[in-house]
Amino acid sequence: MSNETEHVALFPSKDVQPAVPEVIHRVPQGSQFAGLYARELLRTFRNPWVLVITIVQPFMWLAFFGSSFANVPLSALEALLHIHIQSYLQFLLPGVLSTSMLTVGMFGAMSTIQDKRFGYMKRILLTPTSKTTVYLSKALGSATRGLVQIPVMIVAALAFGVHLYGDPLMWAGWVLCLVFLALGFSFLFLAVTASSTDWQTPGVISNFLMMPLMFASGALFPAANFPSWMATIANWNPVTYAALFGRGVVVNGTADWLYLGYTAIFAGVMALAGTLVARKYLKVE
Amino acid sequence: MLEDAIDATGITKTYGPITAVDHVDLRVPAGGVFGLLGPNGAGKTTIIKVLTGLSELTAGEARVAGFDVRRYPMQVKQRIGWVAAEVILDDDFSGWENLWLQAKFQRLSDWQGRAKELLAYFSLEDRKKDKVSTYSTGMRKKLEIALALLHEPQVIFMDEPTIGLDPGTRRMLWELITGVNREYGITIFLTSHYIEEADALCGLVGIIDQGRIVALGTPADLKAKVSGDFIEIETGETVDEGRFRSVPGVQEVHIQGATWVLKVTRAEEVLPRLFDALKPDLIRRINVEKPSLESVYMERTGKRIDQAESGVHDYRKFYANVRRARR
Repeated sequence: MSNETEHVALFPSKDVQPAVPEVIHRVPQGSQFAGLYARELLRTFRNPWVLVITIVQPFMWLAFFGSSFANVPLSALEALLHIHIQSYLQFLLPGVLSTSMLTVGMFGAMSTIQDKRFGYMKRILLTPTSKTTVYLSKALGSATRGLVQIPVMIVAALAFGVHLYGDPLMWAGWVLCLVFLALGFSFLFLAVTASSTDWQTPGVISNFLMMPLMFASGALFPAANFPSWMATIANWNPVTYAALFGRGVVVNGTADWLYLGYTAIFAGVMALAGTLVARKYLKVE
Repeated sequence: MLEDAIDATGITKTYGPITAVDHVDLRVPAGGVFGLLGPNGAGKTTIIKVLTGLSELTAGEARVAGFDVRRYPMQVKQRIGWVAAEVILDDDFSGWENLWLQAKFQRLSDWQGRAKELLAYFSLEDRKKDKVSTYSTGMRKKLEIALALLHEPQVIFMDEPTIGLDPGTRRMLWELITGVNREYGITIFLTSHYIEEADALCGLVGIIDQGRIVALGTPADLKAKVSGDFIEIETGETVDEGRFRSVPGVQEVHIQGATWVLKVTRAEEVLPRLFDALKPDLIRRINVEKPSLESVYMERTGKRIDQAESGVHDYRKFYANVRRARR
């Protein structure tokens, strides 16, 4: 074998070993990440039903939730929501997009648990692929899956005749807010389920997180109407800031860039903490 | 001179209060086929896990393909291939895509040529675009071995490579394993609880029981160490133990249910005398066991490999007595 001879020539005695052993005939580490990430996406979007549901769901959100106040006069809504709007959907769109990022981590967590159960995690980790790479690829994979909803839902809103303000830069900022939110929650989910091998865990955690973070945020209803304890949660809830940024853009054509910073900090902290957790606790089987 | 492909000293792995691997020493020369033979739960898979860096060693040291598994697990993982007992592939992907993923994980640049070569070698070429979920068990196994070979490893670990396969597929796999070892010059470390498999494939065999290596050597050496044969006799009526003992050449006598188990010097010489001593129509069943890896295992552990886990230790007491008597 060519490896064998090369190896023997490099290290003639078994007691002599260089401090940092050389890596043989390999491409950069990004290859492992690329492979794992591609696998996540292909596995998801090759299933036609995943695509159909991903596209249909935003329409249903807007159709059902958006119609709940159809018979309420706009002025009454404006008084309730503390904002001047052209339609309830205009208010709702940024909120629904923000809250839908709450559950994206569940996909990555489920795919990770499936890999543990079917042993594929062993196949990955018996190659020179680190747990950090596995963790990051799963998180990015599930975040990507969630982000597909953004263009679909915006098109859906336009189809429902919603007028949206803002300039391209603001819109880019808004999308970035949602990207950070999706990444942050994916990192969080995967870290929390790193040591789990139970199918039920991601669902249970998703339900548990969903309720407080969805309603204790400014995403669906303005925090001004909340009792103080709930307003406190909303103040710390990153969903709030992605929703407020988006609402500023589409309703008023203004952007509060500080909110983008908050969501970026959330994603950054989750990435760092999650990576540390996954390196130590990501189970193989 | 090539160094050993695997060199382990005192490797130990504990899970809480359970010691799965207990101070095992192993040396596998480069280019050979090593078989770890033992019943389920003996610690075979755990040894693979610690040698491949998948699990951390509790104690001891191991070098695989020239690298310390504790200090340089990634270097080890670049140089080893792995074939799982349960056949682990991504069923949602085609054979070719599984190879592509493996190439990505191993960070290979020019892998397509090698992959094609392997698919041809394993006669999987015409199915490479089909989803793996449509493959037969034998094809899946072959693809798994192709994955293990893709990055030109120095050592391949095969955990129970033929478990659950029909005899035909098993024979085909034996030929492939021998071929891979010969043609690619790769060291093979396999585990098995099939005696005939270890005997047929391995140049070196380690017999493992309850986390410890109880015998180590070439199959021929190990068999030579067992002196004497075993004769099992089932009789129609009750026979007095003394009648067996009085037969020249019979060393030990034990009854196990309705079956007498005799340890004799040489079955060929003792059998005619036995027939003389007993009325032939008294004998319902007779079974002769020549030295085999099974009898090595029985002698060292007092049980048959296929009974070790089930709790039916028919021979245990008897062989324990044999051992005691010898000392």
